[in-house]
Amino acid sequence: MMPTLQAVIGLEIHVQLSCATKMFCSCPNRPGDEPNRNTCPICLWLPGNLPRFSAEALEKATLACLALNCRIQKESAFDQKVYYYPDLPKGYQLSQFHRPLARNGWLDIVQEDETLQRIRIQKIHMEEDVARLVHEKEGKTTVSLVDFNRAGTPLVEIVTEPDLRTPADAMEFLRTLRMQLRYSQCSTCSMEQGTMRVDANVSVRPSGSNVLNAKVEIKNMNSIRHVGDAVAHEIRRQESLAMSKEPIVTHTRLWDPEARITSPMREKFEGPCVPDPSVPPIVISEKWLREMIRNMPEMPGLKAERYMNRHGLTREEALQMSAERNVSCYFESALDHQAPPRLAAQWIAAQLPPLLKDREETLENTPLDPQRFAGLLLMLEREEINANAAREVLRKLCESTASPAEIVVQCGCRQVSEADELEALVDRVILENASAVENFRQGASKALGFLMGRAMQASGGKANPRLLKELMTSKLKGDGQ
Amino acid sequence: MHSEIFAHVNQATCAAENHGRLFGKRVGVQSLFCVRGWPCTGGSKALEGFHPLEDATVIQRLKTEGAVLAGSTRSSELGLGIAGDGAAKAVSQGLVHAALMMDTLGEARVAAVKAGLFGFKPSWGRVSRFGLMGLAPSMECCGMLASNLDDIARMLETVAHIDERDPSMAADKPTGTSPALTRAGVFKELQDLLEPQERSAFSQAVSRLEQAGLTIREAQYKDLSLFAAVHQVIAAVEASSSCGKFDGVRFGHRASGGKNWNEMYLQTRRESFGPLMKAFLFQGAYFQFEDYAAFEQACRIRTRLVQGLAKLLENLDVLVLPALHAKREPASPRDIEELYRAFSLTLPASVAGLPAIALPGMVRCDGRDLGLQLVGSWGTDQGMLALAQRLTTLTQGAP
Repeated sequence: MMPTLQAVIGLEIHVQLSCATKMFCSCPNRPGDEPNRNTCPICLWLPGNLPRFSAEALEKATLACLALNCRIQKESAFDQKVYYYPDLPKGYQLSQFHRPLARNGWLDIVQEDETLQRIRIQKIHMEEDVARLVHEKEGKTTVSLVDFNRAGTPLVEIVTEPDLRTPADAMEFLRTLRMQLRYSQCSTCSMEQGTMRVDANVSVRPSGSNVLNAKVEIKNMNSIRHVGDAVAHEIRRQESLAMSKEPIVTHTRLWDPEARITSPMREKFEGPCVPDPSVPPIVISEKWLREMIRNMPEMPGLKAERYMNRHGLTREEALQMSAERNVSCYFESALDHQAPPRLAAQWIAAQLPPLLKDREETLENTPLDPQRFAGLLLMLEREEINANAAREVLRKLCESTASPAEIVVQCGCRQVSEADELEALVDRVILENASAVENFRQGASKALGFLMGRAMQASGGKANPRLLKELMTSKLKGDGQ
Repeated sequence: MHSEIFAHVNQATCAAENHGRLFGKRVGVQSLFCVRGWPCTGGSKALEGFHPLEDATVIQRLKTEGAVLAGSTRSSELGLGIAGDGAAKAVSQGLVHAALMMDTLGEARVAAVKAGLFGFKPSWGRVSRFGLMGLAPSMECCGMLASNLDDIARMLETVAHIDERDPSMAADKPTGTSPALTRAGVFKELQDLLEPQERSAFSQAVSRLEQAGLTIREAQYKDLSLFAAVHQVIAAVEASSSCGKFDGVRFGHRASGGKNWNEMYLQTRRESFGPLMKAFLFQGAYFQFEDYAAFEQACRIRTRLVQGLAKLLENLDVLVLPALHAKREPASPRDIEELYRAFSLTLPASVAGLPAIALPGMVRCDGRDLGLQLVGSWGTDQGMLALAQRLTTLTQGAP
């Protein structure tokens, strides 16, 4: 009888830092531009040039380390990772192999059963990206072209401990990691656009065992979903090997998203890592680090706690409002203008996204500023307008600079809450819909909805629905007594 | 004309406009220094057709101070050794007043002494390496040759400036005006490195130094024989990395006929480097790929050697030793072993990054000038030049 097997998963994540320039020269950090536009003698590594380490790269890398709860090392240094390949103009890649920028980090993820698991991060190191190779046909011959725009763009590599056990956990870890990194604004972390690249190391072992078996590295996943799929596929492959008692050998496999399988790839010849003699060691002063920590934004985990404790949001609302920095900024700004917190959270989560999408706007550039948005929600809270009207006003707020109150007046959608006005309305509807009234009295509760709809229609959509319902119910029941 | 000396002759040697520190001085620069618009051949087919886009920082400094750049002098392959080097000849034949020459194993010092000139290697990190064809970044310095010390002092003042384009430069200020250097140490272990005739010639020179007013002390340093091995392992590894850029993709020689890029690489590199350079790169690659532990050990020993010399120099101003051996020919080594044996006396200053000057005419052995080499504390470059001037005046009786 085979014991049940457990998967052991570790991730290596390359993240491109959002810097203005490359890591060792002042070329623009825009790899997607016209090929070989963003190059200079340093990143082409013409003879006689020396690398000049960018201060911004260190800042952004440090943000990444802090966002992932790592310990920044007082001194770190660059090594030369030696291999010969046309994408590498120096014949080596500058990477912090022996002395990384940070060690011992962690991230908590919520597992499928909603329990928290702490995933340890072994280290984060800085490195430069390599050039991009393009293989094309020129007539009948294949030619290899090199685009050096990407050569020297700043990266950090994040290496986790093998703490993950399921594809779902791996995906949740990546989502959490992406959220943290985007929050610190060190990277856009887009797997689709290649600013976040993930390799997964997978092995299997009998449940309850502590051994680390031969691992297989899988590459070429360009979305978090693909990572989950590729890891799941690899676990199944290794399980069936284990079942048939075939050995698992350490190698690298490539994920094919079309065929949804992994296949072995040719290994790149990996050379040694030699300390680089030209880039001086990176020494971090306590003062500088304190300043960096002071400038860190409140991270989503703490924010969500605060939203629940101080503003009474549900966990789901709090997570929605805290997961992205621009959303939390908008939310907090609306609160600063006295918006009711839960209403604000619900409207930001449900009403704003489709509206912004229609208008091709973002929270940063929409003319709907948090102040007027808050004003609208306040009117809704005070029942000066109803939800239907509020949605209408919201749309109009985007098109003008008028205040919510002005728009409410303009479109005459102030809610009718005056008792006599509503009472007259209800009386009229009851009178005109005798059969529905009769049905209600026979116990058909659906009839109430019909009558309410009629009354709301008669008010031109302006009636206060809560008061209207109270009045309608009491009239119907009262008449019956 | 002079084609065995110059790789490129500057046709546009117009007089400088302003009167700088080097106004009117003709200077030769080794073809390992980038000069905008000149071919920079570096003695290697790997650099075939390479024209730098910018001046090296030292070249800019020379131009600013009014020097007349006469041309680029021929170099051994990528500056490893002095085979075929033209810098010293250019000075000794009076074609230039002074020359810049890379000093990695001691090339500038040794070439100078062989030609009866002064050769100086500054403290590592005092002169910008931006625009220099680097081979072993942690060992190499911009060396200087001239027939008098005044020209060397002017050259040093001109080029020794912090340059943000070379981040490996030392940030600490060098000691500009130190008190006169008077205490000289002579390694006890030198007797193991020198032949009997070399020893006696050197002792006579030391006696003359004593007569000239230097306090001579014996310095014990049992690690003296380790400098050569440490230099060789580390420099070879660094050279192997530095030469990774010579792949024929972006500049320099590219072999034709390769069926794919890998073949293109291999053929290009096969055709680009001479036998001595290939042997050196092979050694470096060996330590990188096959015996990294030995390289790490060499780095650890280097740290110890650097600290050891610094400790000796706490109670001494300079260490004194010859610059070359009587019977080892540095200009035509058959292999790396011979090369390193010929340079064994200049390697300590290179490994430790210390300033060193070689003075001609003071140590003669079997009709050959071994040169008197002074090695000082880091940053005492100017004080050492002043001491060298004093000694030259006192022992030779002429300014």
